[in-house]
Amino acid sequence: MSKVSCGWFEDVRSFRLSSIVTLLVVSTGFAIQYLAGGVGVPVLSWPFNGVFLAVFAALLVLLGVAFRNKPFVVWLGGIPLGLSLIFGIAFLSLLGGVIPQGGMTGASLPARLGLNRIFSGWPFLLTVLLFLSNLGLSVVWKTIPFRPSNLQFMLFHGGFWIALAAGLAGAPDLQRLIIPVYEGRQNSRAYIPEENRMVQLPFSVYLDDFSIEEYSPQLVLYDPGSDRVIPGKSGSVAEVGKGYRAVWPGFEVKVLEYLGHALPDSSGNPRPADPENGIPYARVRISAAGKSVDRWLNTGSPSVRPGVVQLGRYFLVMFPGTPKVFRSGVVLSGSRGRKPAILEVNKPVEFDGWKLYQMGYDEKAGRWSQLSLIEAVRDPWLPAVYCGFFMIMAGNAMFFWKGMKRGGSV
Amino acid sequence: MTLADFPLIATLAMVCWAAGSILRFASRRFPALRIPSYLVMVAGTVLLGWFIAAYWVALERPPLRTLGETRLWYAALIPVVGFLVEYRWKVGWLKYYCMSLAAFFLVINLSTPDVFDKALMPALQSVWFIPHVVVYLIGYVLLAASSAAAWHNIFTGLRSQTDHQDFSLSHYLALLGFVLLTFGLVFGALWAKEAWGHYWTWDPKETWAFISWLAYLGYLHLSANKTGSGRLQWYLALSFLVLLVCWFGVNYLPSAQNSVHSYQPN
Repeated sequence: MSKVSCGWFEDVRSFRLSSIVTLLVVSTGFAIQYLAGGVGVPVLSWPFNGVFLAVFAALLVLLGVAFRNKPFVVWLGGIPLGLSLIFGIAFLSLLGGVIPQGGMTGASLPARLGLNRIFSGWPFLLTVLLFLSNLGLSVVWKTIPFRPSNLQFMLFHGGFWIALAAGLAGAPDLQRLIIPVYEGRQNSRAYIPEENRMVQLPFSVYLDDFSIEEYSPQLVLYDPGSDRVIPGKSGSVAEVGKGYRAVWPGFEVKVLEYLGHALPDSSGNPRPADPENGIPYARVRISAAGKSVDRWLNTGSPSVRPGVVQLGRYFLVMFPGTPKVFRSGVVLSGSRGRKPAILEVNKPVEFDGWKLYQMGYDEKAGRWSQLSLIEAVRDPWLPAVYCGFFMIMAGNAMFFWKGMKRGGSV
Repeated sequence: MTLADFPLIATLAMVCWAAGSILRFASRRFPALRIPSYLVMVAGTVLLGWFIAAYWVALERPPLRTLGETRLWYAALIPVVGFLVEYRWKVGWLKYYCMSLAAFFLVINLSTPDVFDKALMPALQSVWFIPHVVVYLIGYVLLAASSAAAWHNIFTGLRSQTDHQDFSLSHYLALLGFVLLTFGLVFGALWAKEAWGHYWTWDPKETWAFISWLAYLGYLHLSANKTGSGRLQWYLALSFLVLLVCWFGVNYLPSAQNSVHSYQPN
């Protein structure tokens, strides 16, 4: 945002005007939102959003170049308005950061004002639109005519404009679908949570195998009366294993033997088993008031009853560990052929213009889940947003360099 | 190295910072104490750095998951900013604020002990984990130092003792902090795309990170517009509160109930 004049006091009128305009824009947004009965902004999808953005950008270039010295344009692209809008957006974000989003329904006043959908509502959209005009004009002024000394400004501000504009304009074209698929089955239909309906996909997913690796189990005391879990004091050894010791008021538990993967034999005694089917078993010594007793505990599975020990009104329980890795071995089939792939969290796979993510599973069944939830995402505007991100980072690196150089003379 | 050793290490670090500070004041009378005073102060930070390294090895994951773990890094890094500022710009007073802040965060950790937990949920198992969190931590450390410098300037300003150099210090710390905040925000967006399918979902933590970023973006524009130094010191001093909400406070807000950014053990 370029400067219109020097000093806080000289700018005070411009600041006052900018603050009033920002306030008006935010209030108008809330008024429209209220009158529309809390319904969000009507969305423009491709190609209309592309055309809108192109016309908007062209208008900004025209305004910035042809009417550069008009007082209104100078004000529209100036720092005072930019600052007021930054605070306006921060205020709206603050509302969105405090009030739970998406939770409210009905005709209550907060819902009619769109306070539960701040970031897709009229006040946010109008404020950002004016902010994009302000930011865009400042970028035009720093770009035409081009000077190498303005490169950092152009990259940072231009990148921010592109990322913000492409992110908002492209939001209606973003598709996020959930594909539920069971082991040994194939699915080519997906669920859209926002619209609560199923759609046909241009490809199908066959789930060959779903597996979960878990961290070590936890030894806890369960109080069924209050439905509360009481972890013991375990000293320096943190993982349940041979030698693990945990203390609760009045008694202590020591693990004498630990089997990471085991199954009971015909007499109920645990025997080592393969990692796919076996469950953790621990033989523990429970000592209290000079007496001790040895018992086997296990975490349980659909075919094995959990091994717990009752201690008065409590139960000594071995909980399964939290998931370390969960992955789906899938075969993807589409117009371009078949592709076997492994999906894990943080390791998405691209297929036919879609990006597939390991999203979840049947959490009640835990590691025995036969169901895998896969998310399919298509975002045609992503390259533009990423272009903005990389411009911001380049401008940011230059800003850092300039700051360090100038900072040498503090 | 486990959390059982933490109270001893934390206490020793604080003792080093306190003893070093006392020696530094004493060195005004006895110049021979000057170098030992710095060695003792730096020893406190080295001790904490060594604990973090050993704890990392014991945990078999970077200790960057829980709030307590981030406070630990913070406590180790913020005095480093104080020492570097003195080394580079010959401004000595900032390190005392930095060591006090570090001690404050260690005391919080001592009063709310973490649970030794090796678990690193799948969403955090990413090449982005360390760069994203470390860049943010250094950004927060610089902005905390900037806020401390601004408070110092406000108090000395009340006694009409602030010089131009002190204003510049808070400004450049804020500028560098903002740069790191920006990198952290963009790294986070790129990571979110890989982990959760979209780069921005207005999750409460993301929203507050955005608000913090806007607060400092506002500062830089006020500064570019030649707003008075006195007002800017107040702005910087208070902006850090927004960062604190983003760091800790967001977990207590009603909006946080559905946040995907909660990594505390249940």
